[in-house]
Amino acid sequence: MNDMRILERDVETQTAKMTARGVQVYYGDNHALKDVDIDILQNTVTAFIGPSGCGKSTFLRCLNRMNDTVASARVLGQILLEGEDIYDKRVDPVTLRARVGMVFQKPNPFPKSIYDNVAYGPKIHGLTRSKADLDEVVETALKKAALWNEVKDRLSAPGTGLSGGQQQRLCIARAIATSPEVLLMDEPCSALDPIATAQVEELIDELRSQFSVVIVTHSMQQAARVSQRTAFFHLGNLVEFGETGQIFTNPRDPRTESYITGRIG
Amino acid sequence: MSLGLLTLIVLGLAAFGFLLGRGRALSSVKGDPRALHSLPAYYGWSVALATAVPALLVLAAWLFVQPALLQGQIAAQLPADAAGSTDLAMADLRRIASGLDRLEGSLPAADLAALTQDPAALRGQLASAGVALGAEIDPAVLKAATDYRAAATRGQGAMVLVVALIAAAGFAIALWRIRPDLRARNLVEQLTTLVLIGCSLIAVATTFGIVASLVFESVHFFRIYDFGKFFFSTTWNPKFGGGSDLGLWPLVWGTLYVSVIALVVSVPIGLMAAIYLSEYAGRKVRSFAKPAIEILAGIPTIVYGLFALITVGPFLRDWFAQPLGLGASSSSVMTAGLVMGIMLIPFVSSLSDDIINAVPQAMRDGSYGLGATQSETVKQVVLPAALPGIVGAVLLAASRAIGETMIVVMGAGAAAKMSLNPFEAMTTVTVKIVSQLTGDTEFASPETLVAFALGLTLFCFTLALNVLALVIVRKYREQYE
Ligand SMILES: Nc1ncnc2c1ncn2[C@@H]1O[C@H](COP(=O)(O)OP(=O)(O)O)[C@@H](O)[C@H]1O
Ligand SMILES: [Mg+2]
Repeated sequence: MNDMRILERDVETQTAKMTARGVQVYYGDNHALKDVDIDILQNTVTAFIGPSGCGKSTFLRCLNRMNDTVASARVLGQILLEGEDIYDKRVDPVTLRARVGMVFQKPNPFPKSIYDNVAYGPKIHGLTRSKADLDEVVETALKKAALWNEVKDRLSAPGTGLSGGQQQRLCIARAIATSPEVLLMDEPCSALDPIATAQVEELIDELRSQFSVVIVTHSMQQAARVSQRTAFFHLGNLVEFGETGQIFTNPRDPRTESYITGRIG
Repeated sequence: MSLGLLTLIVLGLAAFGFLLGRGRALSSVKGDPRALHSLPAYYGWSVALATAVPALLVLAAWLFVQPALLQGQIAAQLPADAAGSTDLAMADLRRIASGLDRLEGSLPAADLAALTQDPAALRGQLASAGVALGAEIDPAVLKAATDYRAAATRGQGAMVLVVALIAAAGFAIALWRIRPDLRARNLVEQLTTLVLIGCSLIAVATTFGIVASLVFESVHFFRIYDFGKFFFSTTWNPKFGGGSDLGLWPLVWGTLYVSVIALVVSVPIGLMAAIYLSEYAGRKVRSFAKPAIEILAGIPTIVYGLFALITVGPFLRDWFAQPLGLGASSSSVMTAGLVMGIMLIPFVSSLSDDIINAVPQAMRDGSYGLGATQSETVKQVVLPAALPGIVGAVLLAASRAIGETMIVVMGAGAAAKMSLNPFEAMTTVTVKIVSQLTGDTEFASPETLVAFALGLTLFCFTLALNVLALVIVRKYREQYE
């Protein structure tokens, strides 16, 4: 717990990258998310925990307006990215998503080569000047995602031909290559074996130096290992949000305590 | 005894067997179904199926085999005509036999027997009963006809007897076998499997039958017409008096030309409509536009043909062909191709729509999550993922275009030509199949038989296309499993 306290102090000095105030989400008549206030800090890993169906993914998808693609979803409240309201009419959701990238629960590589999967974001956003530039971006992203050594000899093989864990790391590389400011990860390790999980966790810790990372996870250990701040959701409410060490050792709300000790879930 | 009555009796016996079998099973365990191996109804079914299935199968087989056997026997009795064929005599025979069947109802048996001794009087009687015969009745044919009828009656009597016996035997054996430990459930399963296999055999056998008849007649054709001339000649010029040129290529050229124009029209339009409907349209638009497009698919092709004949044809002639100096015909490859393209739009769009919808949403989410726009996502992720399926849809559309007849007759005309000018009248394989078969020439002439060779060629063509489409579509399915 010692290093936890060091991290806590670390966090104090950070500024908020994203701020959510009074966020409500409805799917038709289903009130899926009720009055959520959260600050996502710069260079911090924030973990969302809570039982299934409590709205973690829903909130994550609010942060880069992925809910726009769901016809029945309605989002109320205010979410700021560096002080700018992302639901403002002037904001283009497409450029927003380039700044706030996302990795999904199920690996979803495109039906393209490994190289083209990673190069997809840089290409559509015109981030590179030359082929050599692009090669370098792809290589760096794959190295960061701990996949380079496994695929460097078959970059032109289809991404769908990789194993599940490799596919997920490919998706992470793909998200990194677009160089977002915030990276949202929705249960990124649920399809991975323990070794791949460890690699991804290590990666998340490294990513913290450049991005803000938000990760949804079902594993309490994982939340404790990789995050500095933790938010606990229950039935669409944000029950408790604070430093990870505090949430796990000294929760204020009885529901949080029940959940982390395994009594509700 | 009539066929319907016999079937009804067998089915009635089966129903009775069901009740009896169930009752016997129950009484064998003193009314306690738990002591039985299977549910009581299974014992009933085992009797019912054992009664009906073998008896009805034999009945069906008998109905096929008896006429074939009888005709073989009778044909040997008949006088051969000049060409050594008994076909004509056989046709007369059949007509006389059916006429006698009709007379049987209205005349006393003794009168009928007298009539069969008197060909001239019989002819008059038959004519008044509605069976007109071309020539005087040949006594030998009349003799054969009465023999034929007698044999058929004997055969039918034997059939009734055999079928009834088989049904009764099945009934008795199945009933006798019922014991509490009889595995009636498994027995019923096996009998059901037999029924299912029988049905699928019928489907497969029909396909083989169709192909076999095509091949058979094509072989006839190639006996009287040169193989090389059919496949390598570039003139199509059938003549009544014989000495025709029956080269395949002008027809194949017309078919391909029309089909290519139809695909050039339908594939881009259909595909873009599908993209709009599945990716962009809101629920309201979709619920209106999708059925509207599918209505197009329900229009009979003859209506499209009329549209080609009275609207598109003259329009193209007046506004394009004549001003450009490319001809003055309102029937043209262009007309047929355009209208056929319109016909294929809903076909392409609804198939592609299904395929595009089958691309997992996760794939689109992945692309949107990287900040791609909708059209970038469609172009770079959705379409590549759906491509194999779309290729399959296009190939299926192509095989429909190749097989289409009505629109070509009414839109492109009937002149077999090999020309590049799209405003000229041309024709296709299917149209010529129809016109050669419905012509006035004798059936055994190459001018008629060529229809079968053309049909076989077309069949191979579309079969290859369909197989290719299926292979591609299957490959596509594997990707997401
Ligand atoms: N696309 C959707 N359409 C309708 N309801 C949804 C949709 N996605 C999620 N929901 C509902 O919103 C609630 C929260 O779901 P979600 O955010 O996926 O939970 P979590 O990720 O915490 O398991 C659930 O009740 C779920 O049924
Ligand atoms: Mg979720």
